[in-house]
This record gives sequence, structure tokens and C-alpha cells, in this order.
Amino acid sequence: MMISEDQTSPLLAPEQPESDVVLSVQGISKKFCRSLRRSLFYGIQDIAGELTGSRRQSTKLRSQEFWALDDVSFDLHRGEAIGLIGVNGSGKTTLLRIISGLIKPDRGCVKIRGQIAPLIALGAGFSPVLTGRENVYANMSILGLTKKQIDDRFEEVVDFAELWDAIDAPVQSYSSGMAARLGFACAIHTDPDILLIDEVLAVGDARFRSKCERRLADLLKQGTSFVLVSHSFQNILNSCTSAVYLSKGRVLMVGNARDVMNEYEKDLFSVRTDESTPVPFVLPPKPPEASTGLDLLSIYFKNADGKMVESPRSGEPTYICAHCRAHRKINQISLFIAIYQPARDNSLALHVSSAYDEESFEIAPGEYELRAYFPYLGLLPGSYSFNIYLKDGSIYVLDLYESFKFTVQGQEKMNRGLFYQPREWQIAEP
Amino acid sequence: MPRQEHHRPEIIHTPESLLRHPLQLFRDMGRDLFASRELAWRLMVRDLSTQYRQSLLGIFWAFVPPIVTATGLTFASNANILNVGETTIPYPAYVMFSMALWQTFTEAVTGPIQAVATAKPMLAKINFPREALVLSRIGQLFFNFAIKLILIAGLFLWFQIPITWTILLAPVALLHLIALGTCIGLLLTPIGALYEDVSRALTFVMGAWLFFTPVIYPPPQEGVFALLVRLNPVTPLLVTTRELAAQGGQISDPQGFWIASAIAIGGLLVSWLVYRVTMPFVIERMSS
Repeated sequence: MMISEDQTSPLLAPEQPESDVVLSVQGISKKFCRSLRRSLFYGIQDIAGELTGSRRQSTKLRSQEFWALDDVSFDLHRGEAIGLIGVNGSGKTTLLRIISGLIKPDRGCVKIRGQIAPLIALGAGFSPVLTGRENVYANMSILGLTKKQIDDRFEEVVDFAELWDAIDAPVQSYSSGMAARLGFACAIHTDPDILLIDEVLAVGDARFRSKCERRLADLLKQGTSFVLVSHSFQNILNSCTSAVYLSKGRVLMVGNARDVMNEYEKDLFSVRTDESTPVPFVLPPKPPEASTGLDLLSIYFKNADGKMVESPRSGEPTYICAHCRAHRKINQISLFIAIYQPARDNSLALHVSSAYDEESFEIAPGEYELRAYFPYLGLLPGSYSFNIYLKDGSIYVLDLYESFKFTVQGQEKMNRGLFYQPREWQIAEP
Repeated sequence: MPRQEHHRPEIIHTPESLLRHPLQLFRDMGRDLFASRELAWRLMVRDLSTQYRQSLLGIFWAFVPPIVTATGLTFASNANILNVGETTIPYPAYVMFSMALWQTFTEAVTGPIQAVATAKPMLAKINFPREALVLSRIGQLFFNFAIKLILIAGLFLWFQIPITWTILLAPVALLHLIALGTCIGLLLTPIGALYEDVSRALTFVMGAWLFFTPVIYPPPQEGVFALLVRLNPVTPLLVTTRELAAQGGQISDPQGFWIASAIAIGGLLVSWLVYRVTMPFVIERMSS
């Protein structure tokens, strides 16, 4: 959405003077406890400590506690957007809650210059039986606006949420998309200095989402700073100049968004290659009674020379092979392959099937290598997983293997588009 | 518009106890109380509209419980099943008025805990002046009392109960009663938000407490029971409110009233402090 004119060469956030820091997180740590009973008890302990004034920096963990955040530091400048990334449970949301002052840190401090608004709880305090209008007033009051301020913005909010006709109908008659739109419209019209955004860009339909993104881009231009939490690479890359990579409560990397995302993507997949798939990947043998007449024996990649490889290379000729054994004659054996990208919310990257291409093979009992041949592997370097199905016809599943993890190597830069395009460059007389 | 002010004060969140900087804390408390009045009003309007819009009979429900209780008790008293002794004003009016006061006190006690419990999702995600939740409850409590007052006024007219100028002072005593209730409620809120035991226990504690308060009977004069009733801090506040409003302003226990008032108002300030200081810990531990 933003900085779209510069998708390929990431800009570093321009050097900004120290005084422009609107949010400074300094060595924040926070303890958590997974056992509810203990957690409540510690809560009472902490309350007692607070009330007697004895509570200060605490460095020791009590039994069953762990550091949900450990010495996290970063600065946010005016008009800067910073992305917080990390897998679930890495402490992103906890950090946002500490920044917004909801919970107290156990160590370190947060310094804030300006007004913070959370884009976290959309539609907080919506009462389903009240009308949209009444709920806008209640919700925006909770977000800290006076009646006069709400009066001034009311039309804008309704316009933004596109609820002209429905604004005087009770919110329980709204679709979930409408309610989310109204919640987002309220939150975005509070005009804060710092916006904390936690995975909320996924409201409404695609058109409304892009409208939200445009609005955020405008705010950014006007000097609002963002802290954005997202799993989506695209969200972070499009909106943020810098990023903080959290893992198990620690900061693994702070810096330019693109570099951090590359690192994150590499890690996401190094976790996978730790489980290192042997080449070829041999499936456990099946008892005869579980067989449908055809068993998948192993899965592997082959390169242009027909040599088995652990990870194929982007843009190069590649075979995906399924070694199988047929115990009976099969009339129309076909191969289905669906490739997913864990780094992009496990979205489908490629779905091919010989049955769709109206190609199937008739086989007698025996061993075969069923292959999908890609003259150019279109996948960009990164981590992927695929599901592979051997079917008779296009429906009857003979055997399958799901979530086969693999990586694609190559020179192509990650995050510079969606797929590899075979190409050559030319110049000619007109 | 926030962006115009470039030199707004810096907000700092640290692990240190807020009580270590009392001056700052008191300043913040005052600021938030002031800042929360509009939000409190908004929340009150929201809650009351929600409550009444989903109901066909609406305000009627505010009348029914006191009428039923008063009728029942009046029958019991007339049939000599319940021997409460002489009351200075006709018993139905006495019991109705006292019950209204008692219910207001009960609402004041349970208000903060309920407010925090229902606002959990909001509390867990948005930092707003939490005083607003409590103020909004107190507002609702006044609204409910005002409705009951219509009924009480009707009964007073019916029984032609004489009213003196002291009725103008009754709201002051009522405020002290509400202050006492809110103080107790606020003190229980942090634990109540963490452990459900508190609200369960509260239900029957309030039931038992009713019997040690001269609500359905006039204040007893002698015996151990009379002593217990006298030691109950609700007694002087509730009795004084009633005396100012309906019994010609003859205050039976002015000393007790002032002691209980001092407890209520001092306690309210302390409990507000406790509520404020402990809420971040409660929010941290409670499920959203």
C-alpha cells in the first residue's frame, strides 16, 4: 500500500534526530505463567507488592514462570512504521499491551511522547441492541474522544464505514463485515500520534481492506507513527520501513524491514530443514490390508540431469517424482500436487494435476516413477510444503502424502514478486 | 486534535510501584476522574438503553421487586407472623423506603465488580480511565433509585406522611451510604476480578447483612443483637437517611452517623487508590 513506488530496493528510514522519537522501548521484560492457578496467585502477590510499594524491577522467575519478553528495546520515530514479527507466542501482543499501558513491565521502561491509540479491539464495547450511531459514540468515547470531537467526525466515520442506511439500525442486524467496518472506522478516526495495529487489517472485503490501507498510508504521511503486528509478509513489507523480529520474547534482529523479513523467512524454514527430509524421502511401508492397490514408496526431486536433489533451484528444469508400486492394473493413474507457502499464511502457490490436464496413464502391476516435469521451476526461493495425491481418475485417491516440506534455492531475490518468470533481454531495431 | 500539541508530557511505563510517587499518582487520579466524566456518562447511557430497549415492560421491572417485598412483609407483619414492633411511619412505606435504600447500597457494593467483569474484553485491550466504569455504575444506581423514588413518593402521599425541610439533607446521607458501598465494592474488585469466589460469597454475605441492618424492622434497643446492629456501619447511614427524609429529622445517632461517614469517605479514597493501582495486575491475569 505505501512506499509502493519502491518495492524493489528497500529504503532505509532516513536518519532522524533523537528528539523525534515518539516511542522508546528500553529493555522491556515481562514474566508470564502458564498455570492459571499459579498465575492468579502471583497476581495477588504482585498486587500486595504494589500496594506496599515494595515492587521494583524484578529479575527472578518464580516457579513455572518464563520470560514472555526478555530485554526488548527499540525506538519509533515520528511518521515511521515499525513491524513486529515472529511466530505465535513470541510476545508481540504482550509488547503492544505494555506499550499501551495496559499491563506493567517487570523490567525496563517505555517512554511515550504523544497519544497512543490501539487498533486492536475493533468495536470494543459495542452493544448489539443499540444502533450503529449510539455505538459509534460509546466506542469513540472509550477510545478517548469528547462528544464534540465525535460530533465533528461522525459523518466521516459513517462515510468511511459505508453504512449510510444502516447507521440507525441495531448493530446485531449487521453482518460481521459491517460491524468490523464500523469498528475500524471508529478506531481510525481517533487521530492518534501512535497507532498500534494488531492483525486487524483483515477486516471486510478486499475493497474495504485496500481503503483501510490507503487511510493508514495517509495517516503515515501526516506524521502518525505505527507499530504493526502481522504474520503477513506483504503487510509488513508494504507498510513498514523497519521491523523487529521477536522469538520467544527476545529480539533476534532489528533493522530494515526487508532484511528482517528475509531473516525471518530463512528461520521459518530452517526450522523446517532441521527436520531434514532425507533424499529420497521414503514413506513408511504400509500393511497390505491398508493398501488400495497402489502404494507411494518415496518422494524426491530431480534436476535437469535426472539427478536426485534435496532442494530444487528456482527457474531451472525440475522433476517432482513419486515412486510407487502397483499391485493391480490401474486404468487412469494421475498425479495431483498442491504446493503451499508457510511464509505467506500457508497460501496455495501452485496446484497442478495430470487429471486437469487430461493426462493419465494406464499401468500394469509393477514399480513406476510418476513425474511432474517443470521446464522452469516457477517458485521463488523460499520454504514450501506440498501435498501429493495419486488418484485413479480425478477423484478416487489411491495414496497420498501431505505436508512434504522442502526449500527452493536460487539466485532470485525473495519478496520481489510472486513467481519466477523465465526471460531474456533483447534490443532490436524498430 | 492531538497532533497540534508537540510538547505533550512524556508518559513513562515502568515496573516501579505507583505508590512510590504519590504526588504524581494523585495528580493522575484527579486528571483521570475529570477526564472520565464524559465516558462515564456515555457508558451509563449505553448500559441503560441496552437494558431498557430489550425489555417490553421497561421501568415496570424497577417497581415490581420492592412492591412484592413490601407487600409480603406487610402481610406477614399484619398477620403477626413477623413481629417487627412499632415503626414511626406506616409499615408498608417504611419497608419500601428502607428496601430502596438497602438495594441502593447493595448495588453500590456489587457495582464495581460487575462493571469490571462485564467490561473485561474492553479492559484487556484498551487503556481508558477505569474510573469511568465505576462512575457509570454509580450513575445507574442513581437512576434506579430515582425510579423507585416515584413509587415511594406515591406511598408517602397515600399514607400522608408528614415531610419536613430536613428531607433536603437526606441526599447527603444517601451519598455517604453509597460511598460506603462503593468503598467496599472497590476494595473487593481486584480479587473479585481474579477469583470468582468473591462474587459468589458476596451474594449471600449481602443477604445475611440485610438482617443485621434495620431495614425491615426498626432499630432494636437492647440485647446482643442490638449491639451488632449498632456496630454495623450501614446502620447509622441508612437510619439517618430515613430519619431525615421521613421521620421529621430526629436523628437518633448523630455521632454514629459521623463516624460511619468518615469511614465511608476516607475508605472510598483509599479504595479508589487500591483500585487504580491494582488494575494493571488484574488485567494482566484475567482472561479477556
